[in-house]
Amino acid sequence: MNTPPRLPIVAIVLAASLTFSTTVMSQDKDTAAILQEIKSLKESYERRTAELEQKIKALESRKNAESAGSAAPASYKRNVKDNSFNPSIGLVLNGKASAFTRKTAGDMAGFAIGEEGERGNEGLSIDETELNFSTNIDDKFYGSMTAAIVREEGEDKIELEEAYVQTLPSAGLADGARLKFGRAFWTFGYLNEQHAHADDFADRPLPYRAYLNKAFNDDGIELSYVLPTDQYFEVGGGAFRGDDFPSGNSVTGLGGASIFARTGGDLGNNESWRIGAYALYSDANARATEEGAVTFNGNSYLYAADIRYTYAPTGNAKSQELILQAELFQRDENGTYNVGGGPVALDDTSVGYYAQAIYKFTPAVRAGIRFSQLDPVDTPAGLVGTDLDSNSHHPRSLSLMADWTNSEYGRIRAQINQEDLNNAGADKQLILQYIMSLGAHGAHPF
Amino acid sequence: MVRIRSRSIMKRASIILLLLAWGVALPSPASADLNVFACEPEWATLAREVGGEKVNAYSATHAQQDPHHIRAKPSLIARIRRADLVFCSGADLEVGWLPLLMQRGARAGVQPGTTGYIMAAEHVPVLEKPTVIDRSLGDIHPGGNPHVHLNPENIMIIASVLGKRMIAIDPENAAYYRKRLAAFNASWRRAIEDWDNRVTKLAGMPVIVHHKSFSYLFDWMGLNQIATLEVKPGIPPTASHLNGLLRKVRSSNVRAIVRAPYDPSDGSNWLSSKTGIRQIELPYTVKRNAGPGALFNLFERTIELLEGANAGS
Repeated sequence: MNTPPRLPIVAIVLAASLTFSTTVMSQDKDTAAILQEIKSLKESYERRTAELEQKIKALESRKNAESAGSAAPASYKRNVKDNSFNPSIGLVLNGKASAFTRKTAGDMAGFAIGEEGERGNEGLSIDETELNFSTNIDDKFYGSMTAAIVREEGEDKIELEEAYVQTLPSAGLADGARLKFGRAFWTFGYLNEQHAHADDFADRPLPYRAYLNKAFNDDGIELSYVLPTDQYFEVGGGAFRGDDFPSGNSVTGLGGASIFARTGGDLGNNESWRIGAYALYSDANARATEEGAVTFNGNSYLYAADIRYTYAPTGNAKSQELILQAELFQRDENGTYNVGGGPVALDDTSVGYYAQAIYKFTPAVRAGIRFSQLDPVDTPAGLVGTDLDSNSHHPRSLSLMADWTNSEYGRIRAQINQEDLNNAGADKQLILQYIMSLGAHGAHPF
Repeated sequence: MVRIRSRSIMKRASIILLLLAWGVALPSPASADLNVFACEPEWATLAREVGGEKVNAYSATHAQQDPHHIRAKPSLIARIRRADLVFCSGADLEVGWLPLLMQRGARAGVQPGTTGYIMAAEHVPVLEKPTVIDRSLGDIHPGGNPHVHLNPENIMIIASVLGKRMIAIDPENAAYYRKRLAAFNASWRRAIEDWDNRVTKLAGMPVIVHHKSFSYLFDWMGLNQIATLEVKPGIPPTASHLNGLLRKVRSSNVRAIVRAPYDPSDGSNWLSSKTGIRQIELPYTVKRNAGPGALFNLFERTIELLEGANAGS
C-alpha cells in the first residue's frame, strides 16, 4: 500500500532538478547584465537610506528638545520590562514524607473510592508537580492550562487538570456574567475550585475523597452571573461531559449538570463570610472504583453547602487571621453496584461533612484543626459482606496541622491525622509537606 | 432518620438560597449616583471632594489595612460589579487582588483602558522605578513606588483627571463636577502655598522609614530618607539589619523613625529604644468614610508631626 508511489516521486524529483540546472546554464550570458543592474539598484538604495537616516536624526533631535520642555518626565510613560505579552508561567513543586501506623490503606467503610481519593504514598515521594500557563488571549478571552505531573503505578504521567477558556469582562456578555469552557475545577463547594497546593491541609477531607475523587474537573461549560446588588450574590450552572467522577464513562458526551448560588459579605471592617449551595447531577455509566473491583451504573445527585468565615484582627489577613470553614455533602444514588457477584440495586442517601479552623499567629506561622466524617448508606442485602459493606461504621478523620510560610511562594507543613475509616482500627498518620511555587502565581480568591 | 432530616434541610436551604438570589436580582436597584470603587480611602475621599452628592464612593480598604495585601472578598466583588469608576493607586500596588476582582465582578465599563478606570500612578511622575526586577529583591513594584498620594501636587493632577472622567461618565452633571473641581483646586492651591512655606524649614531633615510608603511626601518636602527598617521591600526587619542601622543612625543625625499605621511597630520600637530617636506614626491616609476636608487634615497632621519631631530633638 505504501511502497508503490516511491519510484515515480524519485523520477519526478530527478527530472525537475535536471531541467533546473540546464535552464541556469543557458542563461549564463545574461548574468553579467543582471549583476550590473543589481549593483546600480544597490547604489541607489544606499543613497536613499542615507537621506532617510539624515531625516530621522533631525526629527529625533527636535522631539528630544520638545520632550525636555514638557512637564512629564520620562518615567511618565509605561514601560513593559517583563514578559507581559507572553503567557504567565507558574510551577508548583510539592512533596511529602509520610508515615502511617497501618501498612495497608483500609477501605472507607460503605464507600467505593476512586484512585485520587485513596491514601497517599508512604515514605518519601513528590506529590503533584503543577505546571500552569495562563494569559489573556485577546480582549475577550482568557486561557489557562494546568498540567500535573504525577507518579502512578511506577510511571510519571501527565494529568491535564485544567485547560479552559474564560470570557473577559469586555467580551460583550452582560455585566457580571462569565462563561468558562474546557476542563476546569468547576464551581462546587469551597475546595473544589482551588488547586490542591492552595489547601490548608496536606490532604483533602473525607467527603472530597469519597464524593469527588478529590476534585471534579470534567470537560464542560459553566455560566456564572454576579447580581447587581450591594450584597454579593452569584448564581450559575454548568453542563459536563460525564467522564469524571462522580460520572463514569460518558455515553452521549453530555452526562452531567450543575447549578449553584452563593452569597457573602462583611461584618464590620475586619470580618467576612460567604455561604453557598450547589447541586451536581451525574450520569454514572460503568463507574469503576476500588481499582476496578467495584462498578456502578445509575444516577448520582450530589448536593453541597459551604460556609467560610474570616476574621483578621487588624484587617490585615497577612499578619493574623482566623478562618473557619465547613462543607456539608449529601449524595443520592440510584442504580446498581457490582462488586463481582452481579448487579445489586441501590437507591439511598449518604452524607459527609468536614469542619476546620485555621489560625495565623504571625505572617509565617499557622496552625489548624479539621474533623471530617461520612455517614454511609444502609448496606443493601446484596452487598453484605462485600467491600461495600459499611458494617455500620462511620468513617471519620481528625487532623492537626502547623505550617511555616517563608514567603508567599514557599510553605512547609507538618500534619497528623487520626483516620478511622473502618472497623479494623485507626490509622495514625504523620505527613511532612513542602509546597514551593516558581514564577507567576495567580491570586487566590476569598 | 438523621439522614433524611439533613437531606430535606439541605434541599430546602438550596432552594431558599436560589430563590433569594433570583428574587434580589429582579428589582434592579435604581440609583442615580455615580458609583466609585476606590481601592484606598484617599481616593474615595478625593472622589467625594470632586463628585459631592452626585457620587457614591466606596473604599475597598480602611486606614489600618495594608493595601498591598487584601483578599478578593465577596463584598468587593459585589461593589466592583456595580462600579462606574474604579479609582486606585496603580503601579502594581493592588496587583494581588484588583485583577481578580475585576475578573469576578465582570463589569465591562471599568476595565483597564476604559474611561471608568483610573490608576493614579499613570498620571503623575513615578519615583523609585527599579531597573532590575527579581524576587530576591523583595516585594518590589516594577511600575515604581505606588504611594503617590502623599505629594499634594499629585493630588491636584489626579483631581483634574478624576473630574474629566466623571464628566465623561455622567455628562448630565458636567457643570456640577466642573464647579466642584474648580473650588477644590483653588483651596488646595492655597493650602499647598501654606504647606510649602512650612516644609521648607524641614528640608534636609534625616529620617528612617519602616517601608517606603512616604517617598512622595519626603520628595516633596525635601527630607532625607536615610534607610528603611525593612531589609528589602516587604521583607520584615531582621536583627542583623537593625544592628546595621544602629551604626548608621549614630553617624547621622536622624530626627525620626517613621511608620504607617499598618506597619508593625516592633522594629521602630527597638531602634527608638536603643537610640532615643522619636518614632512617629504618620497617618498615611484618611479614614475609610472620610468626607470632604479630610485630605487637607491629612497633610496638616503629617506636617505637624514632622515639625514636632524636627523641633523635639
